[in-house]
Amino acid sequence: MLLLPSLFVFKGGYLQEVTGYVYLFLIQGYVAWFLFFKSGQPFFGYSVTMAIGAYATIVLTEMFQWPLFASIFIGAVLATVIAVLMFLSTSRARGFYVSMASFLLAILFPKLIEALQPITGGRSGLYFGGLTALVGYKTLYLLVIFLTAAIVAFFLWIMGTKTGRILTLISENDRLTQTVGLNTRKYKILAYSIAGFISGFGGALYVNYTGFISSVDIEVFTTLYIFFIPLIGGSKVFYGPVLGALFVILIPELLVPVERYLRIFFGLIFILVIVLLPEGLAPNIQKLLRKMNPKRA
Amino acid sequence: MILNGIITGLIMGGILSLPVLGVAVIYGITGIPNFAIGVIGVFGGFLTWYFLSFNMGIAILVGVVFCFAIGYIIQRILLTPISERGGDSTLFFIITVSLGFVFEGLMRAIFPRPSISLALPRIGTINIAGVTVEGFKIFALLFALGTLVIIRLLEEHTEIGKSWQATSQNLKLAKLIGIKTNRVFSIASGIGCALACVGAIFWGSLYNLNLMTGWDLGFLGFIIAVVGGIGNIWGGIISALIMGMVMSFSGYLLGGMWQSVILYFIVILVLIVAPKGILGSERSL
Repeated sequence: MLLLPSLFVFKGGYLQEVTGYVYLFLIQGYVAWFLFFKSGQPFFGYSVTMAIGAYATIVLTEMFQWPLFASIFIGAVLATVIAVLMFLSTSRARGFYVSMASFLLAILFPKLIEALQPITGGRSGLYFGGLTALVGYKTLYLLVIFLTAAIVAFFLWIMGTKTGRILTLISENDRLTQTVGLNTRKYKILAYSIAGFISGFGGALYVNYTGFISSVDIEVFTTLYIFFIPLIGGSKVFYGPVLGALFVILIPELLVPVERYLRIFFGLIFILVIVLLPEGLAPNIQKLLRKMNPKRA
Repeated sequence: MILNGIITGLIMGGILSLPVLGVAVIYGITGIPNFAIGVIGVFGGFLTWYFLSFNMGIAILVGVVFCFAIGYIIQRILLTPISERGGDSTLFFIITVSLGFVFEGLMRAIFPRPSISLALPRIGTINIAGVTVEGFKIFALLFALGTLVIIRLLEEHTEIGKSWQATSQNLKLAKLIGIKTNRVFSIASGIGCALACVGAIFWGSLYNLNLMTGWDLGFLGFIIAVVGGIGNIWGGIISALIMGMVMSFSGYLLGGMWQSVILYFIVILVLIVAPKGILGSERSL
């Protein structure tokens, strides 16, 4: 299913561009799936880690003439540092306050980018040749598909390991996990590091693919859309975020003719899904398929 | 310049304290963090603008009553049922932001202009130690402080206020002694949205209102309430005034671009250092 849209690469054009976005946001969606839903860490700063990866890549290559791959790597490392710092600094607070601290960071960051306009370009943004100039658009598109698949596979693999099972345990009962003698802090730092690194890397990939980033692309709604990807798709099953990303990125494309009403539809759909399908789309689609095809069930 | 900064800060803080009060009333009574009240309030501000040429008093009334009704209805049909099913803060955060999307979209669809400014009478000028201030700004500040006092008095000296307190302190007991808690919740939500609307009307006549102002007012209202200790009304007002000063002085010293950067930075620091807010809160998130 994940590889299906690679067919578009031969047709190119509009569909290819849109499906590219689906992949790039799918990476972020899986980060949210891993950190928030699977490891139970109340983090809302996905647009921040993504933006740090993206801006670090551009600023280091364009202004400091660093090699591209080194810049991408440093961007991902910086995003890791910010995610872990966010965790360490809010470790005294609990629950919703932690979510709020990272959410406020997501509000703050685009404003900081605008205030630092001489370096970051602010609202007018920065253009970037990057990998597109190096390998061409089509190759990069295939690379994005490949990397997305690899990242998803990595997340699935890690949730199956002992570390993954401990993270699941932490998300279900933090106290109990501590009581049985596990160093939960260590595992949480690990979870934030993985999430920060992949989100930062995904951000770097994003800016290489789109060739442009501005403060508008990383405003606070981006973090919400990323969070909605696993929430809408369904966080219990591994392919939930795929459905969520298709939904969050493709629905706006379908609604372009009635763009004026986009936010109304979006808001209503989110509310309806959360109220009527608290488990997300995936389990319900499963049920529907079973009903349509009772023999297989 | 310092005095000018202080006065500007006090007025900004005073206006901001209205949505802060809205957040605090709703959170204090229903326990729900509502991120949509800013957008709903600005929707009311747009309504007021729409009817302003007709009659000022009626226009303001239309906006405020509409916001009260919206607050009442969303609490009744959406938020209370979810709360009864055991929704947590994160869920309410997501739901109320989605509600905000709906109202922002409605604003975009209904009103002919995306950015407006309300022409309300300026009520002359007043001279304070050599600094000239518009009477309207002083009125806005006094109105905000007056509203706070009225809500406090209502809460402590009337039957309705006591039922609010009972509901926020012990829901089961309040239900048991026959308080219609669902109605209390809905009214609290309505009042919160109406306060946000008044805040938006003042904001719209001193600065301007656009499609994003609602989010700014809502998020600012929420974070200022958090800094004051969410649900703690006095803390909310004090932190609104302090934050008004912070905005005013960072605007003077560093330029408008840095205003909100500094503001959000301070709030994140407060969350890290004193997660319960500067004056603490009886309820915790």
